[in-house]
Amino acid sequence: MMKRPFLRAMPPYLPVLVILICMFALNGLAEPNSLSAYALKGLVSTYLALMFLAVGQTLVIFAADIDLSVGAILGLVNVTLVSLMQALGDTAGAIMLSMLLAVGVGAACGALNGVLVVILRLQAIVATFATSVLFLGLALFVMPVAGTPAPRLFWRTFGGRIAGIPFAYFVLAALLLMIFLLARSRFVQRLLTVGDDQLAAFQTGLPVNSIRVRGYIMCGVFAALAGLCITGDTASGDPNVGGLITLNSVAATVLGGAALSGGVGTLFGSVLGALVIGSVGSLVFFLGTPSEWQNLVQGLTVLAALMVGILFSGKARA
Amino acid sequence: MSGALKPILIAAGLVVLLMIAGETVSPGFASPEQILRLAIVAALLGIVAAGQNLVILGGREGIDLSVGGVISLSALVAGNVMSGSDAGLFPAILACVAVGAAIGLLNGLGVTLLRIPPLVMTLGMLGVVQGLLVVARNGIPSGRAAPVLSDFVSRPQWLGLPGILWLWLLIGLAMAGLLNRTVFGQRIFAIGANEGAARLAGVPTQLTRMMLYVLSGVFSAIAGLCILGYSGSSFANVGGQYMLSSIIAVVLGGTPLSGGRGGYTGTMIGALLLVVLQGLLTTLSIDESGRQIIFGSALIVLLLFYGRSRGLQS
Amino acid sequence: MPHLKMTDMNKTYGATKALTSCRIELFPGELHVIMGANGSGKSTLCKILAGSVKPDSGTITLDGRKVDISDPKAARNLGVSIFYQELSLSRNRTVAENILAKDLPTRAGFVDVKAVMAQAAQAFAPFKEVAGDGFDLSARVGDLRPDQRQLVEIAKAFAGDADIFIFDEPTSALDRAQTEAFFKELDRRKAEGAAIVFISHRMEEVFEIGDRVTVIRDGESVSSASLADTTRDRIVAEMVGGESNTGVFADPPQAPAPGKVRLALQDLSSRRLRDVSLTLHAGEILGLGGLHGQGQSDLLRALFGLEPTTGDVLLDGTPIALHSPRRAIRGGFGYISGDRQTEGAITGRSIFENVVPIHLFKSRQHILRRKTLQADVDRVLQILATRHGGTGLPISSLSGGNQQKVIISRWLMDDTEVLLLDDPTKGIDLKTKLELFELIRSLADKGMAILLYTSEDAELLANSDRILVFNNGRIVRELAGADRTRLMLTRAAFEAA
Repeated sequence: MMKRPFLRAMPPYLPVLVILICMFALNGLAEPNSLSAYALKGLVSTYLALMFLAVGQTLVIFAADIDLSVGAILGLVNVTLVSLMQALGDTAGAIMLSMLLAVGVGAACGALNGVLVVILRLQAIVATFATSVLFLGLALFVMPVAGTPAPRLFWRTFGGRIAGIPFAYFVLAALLLMIFLLARSRFVQRLLTVGDDQLAAFQTGLPVNSIRVRGYIMCGVFAALAGLCITGDTASGDPNVGGLITLNSVAATVLGGAALSGGVGTLFGSVLGALVIGSVGSLVFFLGTPSEWQNLVQGLTVLAALMVGILFSGKARA
Repeated sequence: MSGALKPILIAAGLVVLLMIAGETVSPGFASPEQILRLAIVAALLGIVAAGQNLVILGGREGIDLSVGGVISLSALVAGNVMSGSDAGLFPAILACVAVGAAIGLLNGLGVTLLRIPPLVMTLGMLGVVQGLLVVARNGIPSGRAAPVLSDFVSRPQWLGLPGILWLWLLIGLAMAGLLNRTVFGQRIFAIGANEGAARLAGVPTQLTRMMLYVLSGVFSAIAGLCILGYSGSSFANVGGQYMLSSIIAVVLGGTPLSGGRGGYTGTMIGALLLVVLQGLLTTLSIDESGRQIIFGSALIVLLLFYGRSRGLQS
Repeated sequence: MPHLKMTDMNKTYGATKALTSCRIELFPGELHVIMGANGSGKSTLCKILAGSVKPDSGTITLDGRKVDISDPKAARNLGVSIFYQELSLSRNRTVAENILAKDLPTRAGFVDVKAVMAQAAQAFAPFKEVAGDGFDLSARVGDLRPDQRQLVEIAKAFAGDADIFIFDEPTSALDRAQTEAFFKELDRRKAEGAAIVFISHRMEEVFEIGDRVTVIRDGESVSSASLADTTRDRIVAEMVGGESNTGVFADPPQAPAPGKVRLALQDLSSRRLRDVSLTLHAGEILGLGGLHGQGQSDLLRALFGLEPTTGDVLLDGTPIALHSPRRAIRGGFGYISGDRQTEGAITGRSIFENVVPIHLFKSRQHILRRKTLQADVDRVLQILATRHGGTGLPISSLSGGNQQKVIISRWLMDDTEVLLLDDPTKGIDLKTKLELFELIRSLADKGMAILLYTSEDAELLANSDRILVFNNGRIVRELAGADRTRLMLTRAAFEAA
């Protein structure tokens, strides 16, 4: 049956946008300083990695796949990057080359996931869990213990300013430009078509397997970009850095209005979803919640936000 | 029937092969004490996987990511309730089961009434439970297992086997009976295979599905209690490692994530296989990174035997 | 010379032979009908041509040149375009995106939104007038009515530059005006020299627009002829083989003496029903007729507790509230859907497990006594003469017709008073259809009261003791006795529309 025009015209990321605005408003009420330029910059640079990761996760979820290895890829990229920079020296050229190679590592990890899930037809959840163990092992091989520092030039740039504007905002702008372009690309449209109904897409004559594999590769690339961000943020290498972030990337994607069953969602929504998770953390902090309660309040808020998001988008879609 | 048996036989064969390999590389690996130790670890995983198994069998992308949190919370609660005394064991069991059932019920309500995808619901619940853990650990001192519980888990008791192995065996029999000899079991398979058709055939689909999540919570809670007995005292996030390994045990045991077919016998073997593989890697003198790399690769190879979905072109 | 030739096509699924040295020749500018009972291999043949099914062996030549169609993309490159019976649409994409899904127009890798709308509008132009309310090129396909979706699939098949079109039951959800717009477009494509393969179960349609017909039986091509040179009866005879099974299209049955009133509805209304009142007697088969989707299915679903209603339902004179299927089942209702895959078969489970659930529910048991139940299961399956290789085998090992028999047998384990049949023979071949209707009649003879909706008028006429004609959720006419003719039924269905 037809929906009311309002619901049909509603952008899928509207619920998460509303939630995000509420979070910021609550933050502002609890502690006006939380909306200061300094605090916002801190929020953005801390959660840039999650934003990138959420975009990568969203690409595979568009195609009704999932990647539980993004955190491990991020960790592997982190230690690879730091080791490379250590080996190649800390000139700007060497750092650029290291970053390029690190992104290549992410792409290769994504390609392996793609081959296992798409070509060898393993179930995505378990297959990407298995590769995450493998990637973690590789990360431990590259750097057995945490703590190798990143070159000064690298983290100083990431944490610094250009023309008075924090560098993190440039990265954020680059991310937004990327998702703006991606959302209009045939690639993403095809990912969505494949996720909507794989058989229908195949019968329509779309190269379903190649589209899905490319989705995984792109996810690996974004996980690698997230790895670059986290290296800039933490300024060191740590093979276990990707611990819990995988599940947060899934949560951010779902918060952003994407359906795990594929075919629905927006990349922009997932970025907002990542910010919601970040702002929940800061809200809990600024509310003056006793530290031992912070995780619980955060958990409850994210769960509630997930429910609200799903119920809303479910109503709009049903 | 042969179709259902095949993955179980493969897994069982692999367990034997790994034991032989272990004994060859490192004599003593297949000694009775060592086998007993591995079996106990497998039982801990197997009990968690029983709940995971039920939830997965029920279909509609059923999965329970909150098991790790429930295990940790249950271990913490149990440790405090009994705080090292045998008299506290029974209240501790009650408390654990209540905690597990309550969390499972919330999961079930979210999945059925609110129709939230299980992956999302149980993931969100995991966050909440982990928060609860922090609160609980701050408010109360970490407890200790009752001696009787520790003995139950690690001391040979009846016929040379510790109680937990008997418990696992009992759970295995109960699960087989539940799935194959009860109407409830039929309903689990029916909603997993085709929920729409099951509903039209008189199956209370929502109630059945909710029960699966409750049972999963209860199994995790029992496992948490046993894990406390195994480790002696409750420490941070003991359950974390069980989340994905319980899923893998189910899949290796021949129950596909799509639900509707499979069973627990295979899952038991799957749990054994995982534990023996990990035990073997620990025995070999390679460093952590090598172990992880081999374990990850081995999982990939094992998964190639199972859980392959069908291609698009027939 | 034929434009396209498929010879010696073979395909087996497991133990089932779907095609055995099947052949077909297509000439440019012709509309070639393929007829055959369901499961005879028509769809398989089409899917091989479209690349979504791989044949075991066989030769396909295009303009005398041997070609290999390895996947749907290859078929497309050879100029083959197909309309899928089960549709190949993405529910969450817009109409325009779906129509052009094969080749979204792009500029430098980015989707050219303007071109998408323009090209989609052009492709949909022939159907614009008949699409109906709420249709829009930027609407989400999942929000459309079934007939609108079918039009989108048709426009999708026509989009692009193919010269061989395959239509696998393209008109099942369309109304008359939509069908005519579609036929007009077919004529236009024919005039341009396209070769069209057309599958339909509707004889009238076939003779209205077809040029030649190939009949397939059990995976073999039995005959190819010009439609001008053949007759309905001959095609039917070729489809069913040696036996002349035209019983489905037989004359209306002699109405038996009505038994006592089993079910009485008074002013039943729901989202789709308006003040439906009727009485149903024991031993009676009451048909629900009219155009598709006028409330017939909705009535059956409402009675089974699947849709909220207002009004009174009296079963054996006692009011009964129907809030859920479970309530309805306890009350003595049984429901059989034509949608076996989603609402009937518990797919992947055994025949045994597909027979017992209603009994388990009604008998309030908790323990599954397989041995005790086995005798009952065997008994009901025997009543239905269901052919199976053992009740432990998965239900998917059976043909569609036999699956439906298993599903019916669920309701025979215990007494069912009112059986609600919602297009129960959908997608079932003629021969099995006959068996099913014989069975349904025998159930009525034993005192069961039956409400029957079928999407084929001929079946309705041949099997109903009375027919209630529906329009827009209301009963507009009752046909009984000698009034049960195709003419009267069609007239009643259309005059109110």
